[in-house]
Amino acid sequence: MIVNFLTYLRERPVFLKWLLVSFLAFSGVYDLFVDRHHAEFWGDHLVGFWAVFGFLGCMGMIVFCKGLSHVWLERGTDHYDK
Amino acid sequence: MTSSIFMHPATMFIIGALLLPLAKVCRIQKLWLVLIPLVAFIQIHYLPESFGHVEWLGFDLQFGRVDQLTTVFLHVFTLMALIGSIFGLHVKESGQHAAAWLYVAGSLGTTLAGDYLTVFIFWELMAFASVFLVWYRRRTKSIEAGFRYLLVHTFGGLVLLGGIFLHYQNGHDLSFVAISPDSATLAQYIIMVGFMLNAAVPPIHAWLPDAYPEATVIGAVFMCAFTTKTAVYVLARGFAGFEALMILGAIMTLYGVFYAVIENDARRILAYHIVSQVGYMVCGIGIGTEMAVNGAAAHAYAHILYKALLFMGVGSVLEMTGRSKLSELGGLYKYLPFTMICTVIGGIAISGFPLTSGFISKSMIIAAAGEEHQIIIMLMLALAAVGTFLSVGIKLPYFIFFGPNDCGLKPKEAYWNMKVGMSMAAFMCIFLGIFPDYLYNMLPYAVHWHPYTAHHLAETFYLLGFTGFAFYLMVKYLRPHDVSNLDLDWFYRRGAGWFMWFARHPVSATNEWVSNVYKNVGLRLTMALAKALSWFDWEGIDWALDGSARGVVKGGEQVRQFQTGKLQHYIGAAVALLFIVLIVVVLI
Repeated sequence: MIVNFLTYLRERPVFLKWLLVSFLAFSGVYDLFVDRHHAEFWGDHLVGFWAVFGFLGCMGMIVFCKGLSHVWLERGTDHYDK
Repeated sequence: MTSSIFMHPATMFIIGALLLPLAKVCRIQKLWLVLIPLVAFIQIHYLPESFGHVEWLGFDLQFGRVDQLTTVFLHVFTLMALIGSIFGLHVKESGQHAAAWLYVAGSLGTTLAGDYLTVFIFWELMAFASVFLVWYRRRTKSIEAGFRYLLVHTFGGLVLLGGIFLHYQNGHDLSFVAISPDSATLAQYIIMVGFMLNAAVPPIHAWLPDAYPEATVIGAVFMCAFTTKTAVYVLARGFAGFEALMILGAIMTLYGVFYAVIENDARRILAYHIVSQVGYMVCGIGIGTEMAVNGAAAHAYAHILYKALLFMGVGSVLEMTGRSKLSELGGLYKYLPFTMICTVIGGIAISGFPLTSGFISKSMIIAAAGEEHQIIIMLMLALAAVGTFLSVGIKLPYFIFFGPNDCGLKPKEAYWNMKVGMSMAAFMCIFLGIFPDYLYNMLPYAVHWHPYTAHHLAETFYLLGFTGFAFYLMVKYLRPHDVSNLDLDWFYRRGAGWFMWFARHPVSATNEWVSNVYKNVGLRLTMALAKALSWFDWEGIDWALDGSARGVVKGGEQVRQFQTGKLQHYIGAAVALLFIVLIVVVLI
């Protein structure tokens, strides 16, 4: 049953995309109503700070790590056998 | 005393391991594999505060010391031994189970030890038992990785022992108690380095992602739980509040997760990710406040369960398909749906989704860093959480079970016992997320932290949602390739190669040259010298000896002429001689 359901979802990528967009919209709206009086960190007082942090952090990490791997760290799987 | 040693849970596992072959012969191995960890899990609730005192060679050893910090680790270690043993029930080889149990015994012994010498004994037992979990895979790469693992841990053990000796020399006291950062000397820092090696703190971490992916399927499940978390326990016990640990821990969280983003082998991704997750605990210990140490202990508890769940999920894939590289997998959700669900539960728990164990433990450490106004540390930990969701929460399950390509394999679902093991760990991941007080009540200090606040939820929704969004945009750049990445094990792996080259080429060539010189020059000189000595012996010594011998014979012959045998001749000669002497004396 779960297999059929997942296959059904996989065949509908547009629906999954909208599902993700809806969740992002929900998290944005939810953040507007959050009480942030007790927050000590300055970023916690900014609406959407963690969204920007998560998005840029993730993009930056992918670019940095894949780039570093590509230009320096990447070797064949038999590197140490040679 | 004797009876109190028998109540030690490590004794149970050691005796259990020794009797395993007998249990196999009696066809009760499966029952035995469940019974011993189950009894140990129950038994740890009835341990006295102090037991197993032994006086040995003038040292006061304590095998059992139980308090709140010990209890939380004992609880999760014995639970994990039960889950791991059930997961491995299908493995008929008693040796693997015995190695796993001796390893667990080492971990429990270290956790309960009240003095450094006992810590060291069980510490070494852990290293020597766990290496068999790598070797039992029997591949050439595993044998090699096992030897590297053993050498690194032997080095770490010696560092620890050196620190213990220095510590004893300073105070003649081996009791294992909390050390204040202000009073720490070189001895304590050396001990800390010995502990840090087992916690896989960079730059002495590379043994972990080198060995764990080469272990057997059940071996990796055990190994991911015990070595690093025992090290977390000893650091929490002895070194809470050391600022160096806070900084190194924060670096660890990012270091491990960076490699997890780029690696291809699923079990190597998880191994690197252990470095990252243990980083949270080391950082919490370094912060040293009650909340941070609570967070470290809680995170160790939660981490053991979800990381073991992930290793079980990926191990099931390896067991059923023979593959663990993401580049060779994909589309397996159709054939391994149960394994997929459990792996995804492990993935969301490690990412800190609300209602899972990661949410209630990781947040304690991040919040503790915030409360201490360590903003950079806090942001580093938050960034590592982003990387965790990216690498283990999404990338790993996506490329194994879904992915752009179907690998074409049609494996059978995991064995029933593997499913039971995974279900137990998955249940605990969600149970702890829904009922955090079950874990919080076990922690060393009273907990004043409430994870389910609106603000914390908003932060989590943002981090998870926008990480997912970034993955969606960048997925084509994350497609795995069959490569390996350099790490700091390069130094000793390449260094060993250079050493061998140095031995094979310059040293060997010099040796050959010296041999040739000896053969051509030295040998001839020796022969000439021997000839000269022989000539001298013949012509000099023999001549002198023979000549003197001949002289003695000749002299004897001449003396014999005088010996007439007649008494009057002798008396006459004696009187004549007397007269000559007298004349000489008188004249002179």
